[in-house]
Amino acid sequence: MRPFISRFVRRHPETGTIALVAIISALFASITNGLWLSLGNVQSVVRLTAVLAIMSFGEAIVIATREIDISVGSTFGIGALTFLGIAPITGSGIALVAALLAGIFIGALNGLFVAVLEISSLIVTLGTLFLFQGIAYAVTYGFSFAATNQMRREFVYNAVGGGTVGNLNVATLWAIGIIAALHLLIFDTPLGNRVLAVGGDAASTYSRGVNVTKIKFGVFVVSGLLAAFAGVLEAGYIGYADGSFGASMELSAIAAAVLGGCNLRGGKISLVGTLFGAFMLCGIQSFLIILGVQPQWYILMLGVIVVFASFLDRTFTRLVARR
Amino acid sequence: MQIVPDSDHVPGSKPLISVKDVCLSYGNFRALTDISVDFYAGELVGLVGDNGAGKTTLIRILSGIIPPDSGEVYFDGRRITRFYPKLAIALGVESIQQAIGLCDNLSVARNYFLGREPVRQFFGIRILDKKSMRDASAKVIRDFGLRDSIDVEDDISLLSGGEKQTFKIARAVSFRNRVIIMDEPTNHLSVRERGRVNELAVQLKQQGLLVIYITHDIFQIHRIADRIVILENGRKVADVSKIAMSAEGLEEIIRQGGRSPTSGPAES
Repeated sequence: MRPFISRFVRRHPETGTIALVAIISALFASITNGLWLSLGNVQSVVRLTAVLAIMSFGEAIVIATREIDISVGSTFGIGALTFLGIAPITGSGIALVAALLAGIFIGALNGLFVAVLEISSLIVTLGTLFLFQGIAYAVTYGFSFAATNQMRREFVYNAVGGGTVGNLNVATLWAIGIIAALHLLIFDTPLGNRVLAVGGDAASTYSRGVNVTKIKFGVFVVSGLLAAFAGVLEAGYIGYADGSFGASMELSAIAAAVLGGCNLRGGKISLVGTLFGAFMLCGIQSFLIILGVQPQWYILMLGVIVVFASFLDRTFTRLVARR
Repeated sequence: MQIVPDSDHVPGSKPLISVKDVCLSYGNFRALTDISVDFYAGELVGLVGDNGAGKTTLIRILSGIIPPDSGEVYFDGRRITRFYPKLAIALGVESIQQAIGLCDNLSVARNYFLGREPVRQFFGIRILDKKSMRDASAKVIRDFGLRDSIDVEDDISLLSGGEKQTFKIARAVSFRNRVIIMDEPTNHLSVRERGRVNELAVQLKQQGLLVIYITHDIFQIHRIADRIVILENGRKVADVSKIAMSAEGLEEIIRQGGRSPTSGPAES
């Protein structure tokens, strides 16, 4: 039995995260007398989780190749601003395409510097984080973008953030579709095998005839695309965006991926774990809000809980997956 | 003194790989200087020389990992102008290298097929054929005598150094190839495993493959090779058929750094 469990945990790095999510959910529900589990709160946590998770999936795939994408926060903002900025003129459909193209452009720029010119992704994406945050602040200086009533009647607008299906915001459905597609891509296709191989050992992967440059370029493009799409979903829901939209979201995306069992040294990721990691972050956030924690304390407490959670997760995995 | 290495092949037969005046530098360090050497199908060539002689650099060029700075490389009479591993593998050049070749984060089966994964179509999407990956890689590692407790779904990092080496050899020879390059294949291996690798090298040659075998052990290679090429400081200093010189004579060339008055640098 024991070797079976240890093998299972070794092959499923998200086990610890899922266990932890179950524990803290029970804890939060009982501390808040069930308020945390109320329909309204669960709806809001699930929607926030969906948006953060979509962004974090892109981050996870970049981490799979042993790189990192810090620019996703501003890509998220640029996606949102492009969408809301253009939609009143062109309609939501064209605005959506423009926002996604903007994400692809930022991803391709990162990919060019990291994959082709072989500059450290940490410094490249830190640079593009500042660059596009700067652009976002500059173009929205003194004003913000908001959805018009005309837009709110459009199908595309409702399909990408504005609408609901049953009790769920459409973002949840998008997140489910995206995780299903990416899971298939990463774990069940030759391309996915090569993405993981690049993160494990790029030189060996190259020696087996794999084009490492193409793969690294590709993961940055996917990350940019998903971050911009997450920005559209958030903007579509809120109906409003300004220059600070998405600020510091990159940290949440990285935290969700790492909490979810993605190894920053590359080659090992879990998308299901990343989803639960995102849920944990959003759940903690809503728990602190329900408790009435002052906003200025709230980031501090989030930080403490994240560090503690990652420690617990690591300890759990070490204990159970010991060889 | 010139030693011509064509005792074993038909006169006039074309070399499978022909290297002409190849030079390569790493920054200011000249790793290879004017190397010219021919390799023929059905031949087992020992490539020997001290550390830093340029052996590994030469096989990195042949396996497409780095391009030469100057000079020409021909494969089957065709000039190679771009060097990348995918092309080498497509031409049937498989190399077993020391430091690289395996991804520790992937399973045995995934490593076995990395870069040429079998797929089946599923609504037009190419999905990994995991069953055939499992079955084929399991059969090969059993055939090569890896222990039964290894599950091909386990990470390859669970294998020992010798097992990893055996796995790389198994992978290299089980696809249809024309050239097998072995860079110190018997490192990390037990005496018995070493004997098996050498036997295998001879078998591959007998099947008509070109085998290029890099080693430090001149006596070991002298027993199995048809021809021995000695590199020293990035230059070719000898290229002799086995019957033309004893292992002791070869050792003397290496010891003298290719400047032995009796055996002198060979030109080809």
